[in-house]
Amino acid sequence: MTHFAVAAVGADRPGIVAAVTRAFVDHGCNLEDSSMTILRGQFAMMLVVDAPEGVGAPELEQALAAPAAELDLVVTVRPAAEAEPPPPDSSWRVSVHGADRPGIVHGVTSLLAERSVNIVDLSTRVVGAPGNALYTMVLEVTLPPGSDPTGLARDLEAKAAELGITCRLHPSEADIL
Amino acid sequence: MGVRPVLALPDPFLQRPSAKVGAVDAGALALATDLVDTMRARPACVGLAAPQIGVGLRAFAVDVTGHRKARSCHGELVLFDPELVEAQAPEVAREGCLSIPDLTGDVARATRVVVRGTGVDGAERVVEADAFEARALLHELDHLDGFLFLDRVASAHAVYRRKVYR
Repeated sequence: MTHFAVAAVGADRPGIVAAVTRAFVDHGCNLEDSSMTILRGQFAMMLVVDAPEGVGAPELEQALAAPAAELDLVVTVRPAAEAEPPPPDSSWRVSVHGADRPGIVHGVTSLLAERSVNIVDLSTRVVGAPGNALYTMVLEVTLPPGSDPTGLARDLEAKAAELGITCRLHPSEADIL
Repeated sequence: MGVRPVLALPDPFLQRPSAKVGAVDAGALALATDLVDTMRARPACVGLAAPQIGVGLRAFAVDVTGHRKARSCHGELVLFDPELVEAQAPEVAREGCLSIPDLTGDVARATRVVVRGTGVDGAERVVEADAFEARALLHELDHLDGFLFLDRVASAHAVYRRKVYR
């Protein structure tokens, strides 16, 4: 079995998931992890599928061409290397909020990248009236071995002050049950 | 003064830690009245902290009377210079905030707390609360340190757009 990462984006309407996944079923593929959501009217699907011998990226692309054309989706397929499981105990959360302006995501994530901090999950929301909009971003990150969370928290706060926003680093909540 | 306008993010005032109130004087009592009046003026509002009405002092009002998730209920509660004495048994639940009217988020909070502060009569008050009232107290305590629920959401996918404020 080979893993493929598939991404599909298009204007939201009923039937997108059913149409795309039908192509996988027809080729004996298993769906593994996926994340699918509506972003301002665009339905975005990201998934990893496990394909049987003989089914490669060209076959999957061909199978997806029909639903992509019918539903006006942009679809990409690429082979995915086996993922290393993340270390269990280095998970942190970064909360960011402030007046909307260009460069918040880039400013915060550049600092994280400089420190080899890996982003595991990220989502953003913009709400409120234009001119006084609130931008929020929550990231789940893993710190490389030997990192100094206190120093990172301080540097994130300094970066946030530069951007006129608030940025806080917390250990991720331990599982409660 | 009575009902005051409520500040909303991204107003940076909400992120500042507040100062101690100290002795409960006429100014502190006027603040207590404004907090309660403003809280009462908003439907389904169960708590309001001084920074939310633009006052950088450690004071809040809470009233969870009649809320379906409440167990302990101290009725109308105004505390000055409150401190968290004990917090146990965290649970994740959805929270909103008048100062973030368009979003809600899942936040882990203790479900049993002891909070000590000064009441409107100037005497020390020790409040033991659980369930929803405990969550409300912790949410308001956070405001006094410049923390909002967005700073505490449980994961990257735990922030939601609110449909209706109720």
